[in-house]
Amino acid sequence: MTATTGTPQDTSPVVRGAAAGAGGGRLFRSRRARPLISHGRWWWALPAVLMVVLIHYLATAGGALYAFTDWSGVGDFNFIGLENFRRIFADPAMIGSLTNTLFLAFGFLIATNVVGLVLALALNRTLKTRYLLRVLFFMPVVLSPLAVSYVWKFIFDFNGPLNGVLGWVGMEPQLWLADANLALWAVLVVMAWQTTGMVMVIYLAGLATVPTEIEEAAALDGAGNWRRFRHITLPSIRPSVAIASTLMLLQGLRVFDQVMALTGGGPAGATETLATQVYKETFALSNFGFGAALALLLTLIMLVFAVLQQAATKDRS
Amino acid sequence: MTQQGHGRLRRLGVLAAAPALGALTLAACGGGDDNASASGSGGAADSFTFAFENASGGAENPWLILAEEYSEEIGVEIETNPLPPDSYGLTMRTQLQGGNAPTLMMFAPGSGQSSSVIPLAEAGYLEPLGEEAASLVPEGSESQFGIDGEIYAQPTSLIPVGVTWNVGAAEEAGVEYPEDFDAYLEACQSLADQGKSMAVIAGAVPPNPGLMAMAISATRVYAETPDFNDQLAAGDASFAESEGWQDTLETIVEMNEAGCFQPGAPGAGFDGITQGITQGTSLSAFLPGTAANELANATPGLELDTRAFPPADGDPYLLASPNYVLSINADAEEAQKEAALDFLNWMSENAERVTEVQGGVPITGPGENLNPTYEPVRDLLESGDYAPLPNQGWPNPSVYGALATGAQGLLTGQGDVQSVLEAMDEAYSQ
Repeated sequence: MTATTGTPQDTSPVVRGAAAGAGGGRLFRSRRARPLISHGRWWWALPAVLMVVLIHYLATAGGALYAFTDWSGVGDFNFIGLENFRRIFADPAMIGSLTNTLFLAFGFLIATNVVGLVLALALNRTLKTRYLLRVLFFMPVVLSPLAVSYVWKFIFDFNGPLNGVLGWVGMEPQLWLADANLALWAVLVVMAWQTTGMVMVIYLAGLATVPTEIEEAAALDGAGNWRRFRHITLPSIRPSVAIASTLMLLQGLRVFDQVMALTGGGPAGATETLATQVYKETFALSNFGFGAALALLLTLIMLVFAVLQQAATKDRS
Repeated sequence: MTQQGHGRLRRLGVLAAAPALGALTLAACGGGDDNASASGSGGAADSFTFAFENASGGAENPWLILAEEYSEEIGVEIETNPLPPDSYGLTMRTQLQGGNAPTLMMFAPGSGQSSSVIPLAEAGYLEPLGEEAASLVPEGSESQFGIDGEIYAQPTSLIPVGVTWNVGAAEEAGVEYPEDFDAYLEACQSLADQGKSMAVIAGAVPPNPGLMAMAISATRVYAETPDFNDQLAAGDASFAESEGWQDTLETIVEMNEAGCFQPGAPGAGFDGITQGITQGTSLSAFLPGTAANELANATPGLELDTRAFPPADGDPYLLASPNYVLSINADAEEAQKEAALDFLNWMSENAERVTEVQGGVPITGPGENLNPTYEPVRDLLESGDYAPLPNQGWPNPSVYGALATGAQGLLTGQGDVQSVLEAMDEAYSQ
């Protein structure tokens, strides 16, 4: 191999410019073969790395420090060790918020991925109106979560259209957002309704990479729809599954806007999540230390689930 | 020196000049501040800044009106900063800690709310006020306006909190305001038969059920034990062991079971209150007196007044306290502080006008010009049969949060009276 045929990935001595006895052509060869970012220039990234460390990680770590204090937002504070975390796990309201967060996160993950995949499969190739329908299903994604939630709040209102429809068919009106058994489901419906279009687009992108020849060959061999989906389509869109499920899980874990706009965490904490509790404890009740502990817990939960989820959807082929 | 050497020097010079220029610019800015301080010393400034809550966002806010009148009369410009109530406390705390808070600020008395004045006074962010402010503080309530013998907050007017009664709708429905709770429950049934409700509440917004619970506690708790909050602070009482507080929450359960609230009450917002009261489908609501005034002023033909919630037995009792106070930023320039203090003095000298604009009751008690809205409770105000809002005497906002959320839960069938009171005790001990 000569230097001129080397690639940036080639790590032979000639490519790195270290070959002995290269003569007059050595400098020319090594310069042409040098990778775009070579050894010795790592410090180019240093300002950006420092900024990220200082602004993002150090500031976050500084905020996390308050999780071990009793700071009320003004004045002095004391370090109280793990007392805030003990309070979190001893308080039924906080445990309820944690349960609600997990319910919404996994419900959201399942609902958006199942419906999004079904929509993507339905609108992938054959349907003539597929482009129009894709736009219609994607449209809620571009709207503000607050705006969408307020529209749904009107729909769920006791005197709203949903109860109106129930009335027409002779059913009793429901307190959709004020019934402890229904409110969390109502929030989940709104979350899923708005975001399913996003998942559909991710899966459509994945489906575009599935080779039609293989599907056709499988069909000719007598494989039915389900077997083709199970053994050809699904393995081919594994990267899309990983992306969509990770994004939806994280979005579900940090849900805030929809809960605040629809129920405010009520009735009596029935739809409270960790994110809404962080806001209320920190900013409404001035328990900055306790709020920081909740925020830290939420961050750790998201980190753990993100890692687990990545491991679960890892391509092992 | 070589050409390369000159180049290095030039680059070094540029590098050194940038921070030097920055430092000079900052020094120039600092110098400007010093000059401003100096020019302001020796007398009141001709302008100052004033921040306050503005729930409606409109120009009819009482503080805006008063600031404009003061500027016109005295010639001192007040730069107003109306802020939304939900983030007001946080904004003020952040600005005070950041050193860029306005000179004059509106707060709530005591420690029980996110915009309460006492934690800020304890942290040293507020300026002690003079004798004039101290003379306005209701007797026995000094601990809600200051610490260590100093007063840090000037009260403006008393705001009665009870039942806002729709006189016109009541006449139309043939219902008189009940004298006791049994009569109240009977009236609930009678009104439900007419397709109306005795009370309209914003069940989806916890502070409204919370305010209702406090209004009911006036007769159940504070009429018999006016020093209940002092007993709590001393550790001699608890919510869970208080018969009065148990009665208070039981009353809410009974009202709910008797159909006293509008259909869909647990899911209703504040718009439900406005609609129910203005359209006459509900006869009453639990609102501060000022809100009732605003509602009546905004709706021609709507006749509202303020009543005490009917007692289970015994005499009626009311909640009334200065819900808003004004404080001066300790970090403001002396001239600015002096100008703000002049404004506070002007307000106490013009108490009648302040009361009229705010829709409250003069801090010194009801006079001849009592707002007609409060005529039904004039006797109670004159005889001192009222207590301040209970949460003003609680040590942190979480206690009221537990009461408000708990009262909401009683409406939706979540939890029970005892668990709500235990949650309040737990919050009190934080």
